[in-house]
Amino acid sequence: MAGVGFRRWAQALSKGKGSGISALLSGCRAASGLSKDSLPGPYPKTPEERAAAAKKYNMRVEDYEPYPDNGEGFGDYPKLPERSQQERDPWYQWDHPDLRRNWGEPMHWDFDMYIRNRVDTSPSPVPWSTMCKQLFGFIGFMLFMFYVGEKFPAYQPVAPKQYPFNDLYLEKGGDPEKQPEEVKHYEL
Amino acid sequence: MADYREAPLATRPKTLDPNEYFNLSPEQRRAEEARGALRANLKRQYQLQLNNPHRKELIEDPALTRWVYARGNPYAHFRPTNKTSLLGAMFGVVPLFALYYIFKTDRDRKEEQIKAGTLERKFSLSS
Repeated sequence: MAGVGFRRWAQALSKGKGSGISALLSGCRAASGLSKDSLPGPYPKTPEERAAAAKKYNMRVEDYEPYPDNGEGFGDYPKLPERSQQERDPWYQWDHPDLRRNWGEPMHWDFDMYIRNRVDTSPSPVPWSTMCKQLFGFIGFMLFMFYVGEKFPAYQPVAPKQYPFNDLYLEKGGDPEKQPEEVKHYEL
Repeated sequence: MADYREAPLATRPKTLDPNEYFNLSPEQRRAEEARGALRANLKRQYQLQLNNPHRKELIEDPALTRWVYARGNPYAHFRPTNKTSLLGAMFGVVPLFALYYIFKTDRDRKEEQIKAGTLERKFSLSS
């Protein structure tokens, strides 16, 4: 009984026309935001719906292209070209110069990814093949040289430390009466 | 520059784009004019609000509101299809079981080694 009620509530929420806390409580939305017909809606099926959606998003009907309707949650949001903000003209008088965007312009779905601090799709100054060759060439060369250095180490010859007085027999607590064995660290 | 090839996922510079030089038919020009008209209208609305001396509040951007709403409510238009179910399973269900299995077997193996006394405690940082 309680399970059925919970499922109903969860279904109502996910299909709900509301948003936020007001939806949780009463299933309706505050009137202070945009009206229902200027918010994104479901995928447009008829040409009239497409025209209305294009007008809503301030785009030409020919330019407006929604994401394909395959249930991934886009609805009627327009599919804009995948270009970063860095590519836009730096000398034009944008309304928001740091974002290189005008007021009211439709935002890309991944706008927060394409800001100038993040992903950049602008053309690279050097061809891709050159960049790959330089980077992986350098890394490969360094790895190879480190491997060779591990295989053929080159350092000054070392030997164990040699102590005097028969390897410090008395200092190490040897019996003063007994004669220790002679330790010779040299050869003549 | 005739053999310029752009990097994968990047774009061609505008000065090398053939569209700039060849797409000058009247339809293209009319399309550009229509786009310019839309842009100018939006600019005008913004400037009117911006320079209004009686304005006390922030200028609300409906495009931003729409974007936030669209990004925040994808489940209203969600439908379980093959692709979405597969993605959901791959990112949500499989890592749970796979990571549990991996960590459990690795730690059990280590525990066996400790109990048998064969665990080699090396000083190197890499293992």
